[in-house]
Amino acid sequence: MHLLNLIRRSAFKLIAPKMTKYGLFLTMPSKISTCGTLRMIYLNKNISKNADEDINLDEWKLVVLSGLEKEAFEKASPEEEPNIAAIKEYIDMSRRLGKAAPENITEEQLNKLIEYPSVTSRNRYLAFLASKEMRKKADKVKKKRLQEEREELRKTMDNEELIPKSRLFRAIWDSSMDDLYNWKAAQAMSFGQPLVFDMDYDDMSEREMQNTVKQMMECEGANRKAVEPFHLYYCNLKEDGPYHNEFLKRYGDAWDNLFVTVTEKSYAEIFPRNQIVYLTADSPNVMETFDHNKIYIIGSLVDKSIKKGVSLARAKRLKLATAQLPLERYFHWKTGAKVLTLDQMMMILLTLKNTGNWKEALEFVPKRKHEGFLDPSLQHYIHRQKNKKIYEQNFKKKLLVEELSKKRLWNGLWEE
Amino acid sequence: MGFFLPIRNWVLQTLTFLPASTKQNLPAMCRCFTSTSCRLVESIDPKAFHPEIKIKDGSMTKKKAGKDRLPPKPFSAFAAGSSKIRAMHNTNNAVANESFSPLNKVSPPDTPLSAKEWEKLKEEYQHYKKFEDVMFDNMIHDHSPVDVAKSLLVAVAKRDGDVEYSHLVKYLTICVYHKDVGEIYDIYNIMKAKYKSLEASAYSLLIKGLSDSPHWKETLVLLEKVKKVSFHSRQNYGDCIEGALLNQERNLAFELFHEMVTENLTPSLTTIKHFFDFCQPVKDDHLKNKCIDILYYLREHQIYPDESLVLSIKQWFESISGENWKGNLTSMNNSSQCPSCGHALEDINLTEEEFTNVKEKIKRDVIEGTDIFRNTSPQELERFQRFVNEHPPFDVVIDGLNVAKTTLLNPSSKTLLDVVFYLAQKYNRLLVLGRRHMLNNSFQWKKRDMDDMQKKADFFFTNNTSKDDPFLLYASFHSGGHCMIVTRDLLRDHKAVLSNSVTRRLFFKWQRGHQMVVSSYVPGKILTFEDALPYDTIVQTDGNTWHIPYDDNLSKRASYEIPVKWLCLRKK
Repeated sequence: MHLLNLIRRSAFKLIAPKMTKYGLFLTMPSKISTCGTLRMIYLNKNISKNADEDINLDEWKLVVLSGLEKEAFEKASPEEEPNIAAIKEYIDMSRRLGKAAPENITEEQLNKLIEYPSVTSRNRYLAFLASKEMRKKADKVKKKRLQEEREELRKTMDNEELIPKSRLFRAIWDSSMDDLYNWKAAQAMSFGQPLVFDMDYDDMSEREMQNTVKQMMECEGANRKAVEPFHLYYCNLKEDGPYHNEFLKRYGDAWDNLFVTVTEKSYAEIFPRNQIVYLTADSPNVMETFDHNKIYIIGSLVDKSIKKGVSLARAKRLKLATAQLPLERYFHWKTGAKVLTLDQMMMILLTLKNTGNWKEALEFVPKRKHEGFLDPSLQHYIHRQKNKKIYEQNFKKKLLVEELSKKRLWNGLWEE
Repeated sequence: MGFFLPIRNWVLQTLTFLPASTKQNLPAMCRCFTSTSCRLVESIDPKAFHPEIKIKDGSMTKKKAGKDRLPPKPFSAFAAGSSKIRAMHNTNNAVANESFSPLNKVSPPDTPLSAKEWEKLKEEYQHYKKFEDVMFDNMIHDHSPVDVAKSLLVAVAKRDGDVEYSHLVKYLTICVYHKDVGEIYDIYNIMKAKYKSLEASAYSLLIKGLSDSPHWKETLVLLEKVKKVSFHSRQNYGDCIEGALLNQERNLAFELFHEMVTENLTPSLTTIKHFFDFCQPVKDDHLKNKCIDILYYLREHQIYPDESLVLSIKQWFESISGENWKGNLTSMNNSSQCPSCGHALEDINLTEEEFTNVKEKIKRDVIEGTDIFRNTSPQELERFQRFVNEHPPFDVVIDGLNVAKTTLLNPSSKTLLDVVFYLAQKYNRLLVLGRRHMLNNSFQWKKRDMDDMQKKADFFFTNNTSKDDPFLLYASFHSGGHCMIVTRDLLRDHKAVLSNSVTRRLFFKWQRGHQMVVSSYVPGKILTFEDALPYDTIVQTDGNTWHIPYDDNLSKRASYEIPVKWLCLRKK
């Protein structure tokens, strides 16, 4: 049936213009003329008498309906629960409309989708799934391309190059680097300066929790590769809590082999309180220098909904010292929150520890957030200029208000 | 300039003997000038500062017509348009209006083209991957005629042998805009035959398109289908209701309205307007009561009608046979009587029960919140509670830091001193809330001023890291219903943390009735307060009258503001 339609359509395209021109409706030498075509000819005759213009505006309906039988047949296989099927259909239709929605969706994702309470949250989740799917696809394509290129290279390479040359060292593989890193990490475990991650933030959403753990992994990786690593403590980490589960999911078996101290205890129990400094952007105190005798604490929290002062409240409760990075002092700040990600904090602290140079350390603050460094020698001067400006403005305002009040009184009298 | 100087003293002296109405005009005129004339700065004598203090009460601020380039200044911080005016004072940035991206601009043809001509056009715009999509989008944007879109659809259908769903929906959009009912119904049938279910936007378009056609009953079927796969929108319900009303099915329309309300959807003002438009003339009581119920719905949910709806309501009331209603559009001043009929409006004070309810919610949500350490500490809260309990109830609670920063012309302590002295003349017991750092003698905070103030008022200083607003609210609520607060803060963040919308509304009502705002202050000269409103802005009735606040078309009202215009209806 479909094949017939195809033929019919192409034949019609060829014949239609001629027909209307010569009016040869009945003498059409077509063997495959079916009911539909005849009707179309009839419509053509009625609507466009003009010989030059042969637009039949309702033609699309016939075309669409003629292709219908096949589609409807394909879709007549409902086996799933009607509600689920309808929602799958719904996602499919959204995708056809060009909205961000995934092509394939698993049962688990579908159940999660249904639980979302509003249209916007559902759409956001669908867009998330769609982008994930797209990234996976792009990765696959890239992998394939690289593989092909490698094969190509292998073919063209001369045999001579494959013969090993005499070298002083064997090739350094990743595993030998790993050995070195682990050795250093083990050393840090016994002699290194502690750096604490506070894992006592339970009321995070699932996405936030995933992001947190991902950032924590980057932190651990960056620390391992440093010249002089920290001794990392994961404090308040509850066994089988959301953090623990997420870690296990990401690390797998490697979780047990990490050179990190994991404990359910609080940092306040492990370390003397007067040594602890809680790093938080809400702190009123600005960190001047990196102190090698202090124990710095980072709250491992990703906060997408803006909960201000959560970590500061925690430090206040335990009566700990707090500090924030001197971002204001070193940058022309442009946009964005002064809250940095965990891995950025880690890099900044590592650089500070190993060099003590603020400028070098603060290179890790995202470039989009600032407009470059302030000249430290000018800082004092700039501050003074700012104050002077404010003072001048205020003085001008004062004079203006004076003048206005006089004028007003004067006018008031006249109007009276 | 020289002319002013000798005259100045005389002016100030006479001012005290002037009749009250002139004095009340002053702040308004002051505003006229501060906004317009800035050229005067150069020609000012710095010695002209006069130390004589003249403080006036300007609770009633009338406007001088024709003197002001700005829209009229509303009389309250919460009145519609206030935030807009504040924003205009603070910035001069014009809002860049969003325009259609020029990158995607393709001008659609005026007349239908044949398939060949479309192909030609497509080659012209080769750089678009999806030429048809871009073209349809532009047609929707330019409101092209249906025939042009249709001809493109024909071209697509001829070429591919099928029409994509997205093209179909875009074509449907154009048909709905032009209200081409026949075509919409055809598309509906095609979609029904071709696809098992659609997505939300197509359903909405179909409901909108079919609602004022003979096939309007289909919209109810579609509404059910949306329910299966997605959430309802108030637009869908609104269109269905419109369809029902157009076809004289009033009971069905009211049923849909109730269904919508129970699903927690807020009906749009146009939907409500349809009810009042289509239920005229009113002959039976049943219909009348149902429409009155809608007005009560507006009251309960604090929805304010817009101008067109309020005119419909007016007409509806006037069409009730045998009752002879008379409607009047008016705007309230600061007194609690309607200027049109003299009827007293509802009082803004909360009832006993509401008051205790809000008080408890404030303590639980605002002060303690999820973590008491975020705002304060338990020790401090206890210290404050002890402090409040030891003192008899206060009449006014002042947000010291907020008031002190009213102007930059003065040291902060001087500003606060002026305000405290002024309020001390009127009220007995004042409480000023501040932070510890105010006690350190500095340029901004003079020790002498602070000592002077402490003779007139009680002080409570919180830690520098604590928030003072929660204490402000707590102290005021603790002192009882008569206690006022003085701050320019709109307290929106505290309103936001309240857990349910009813409490939020009550809190806002309390705030309107109890917040005094320093509206203008010139050191040593002028100090005016915006007094709290004595009446509640809400749809209200006593059987023989209706008073309905509404938004006029001119002023853009922010969500935390209230309208100033009213519809006054009374029975003759």
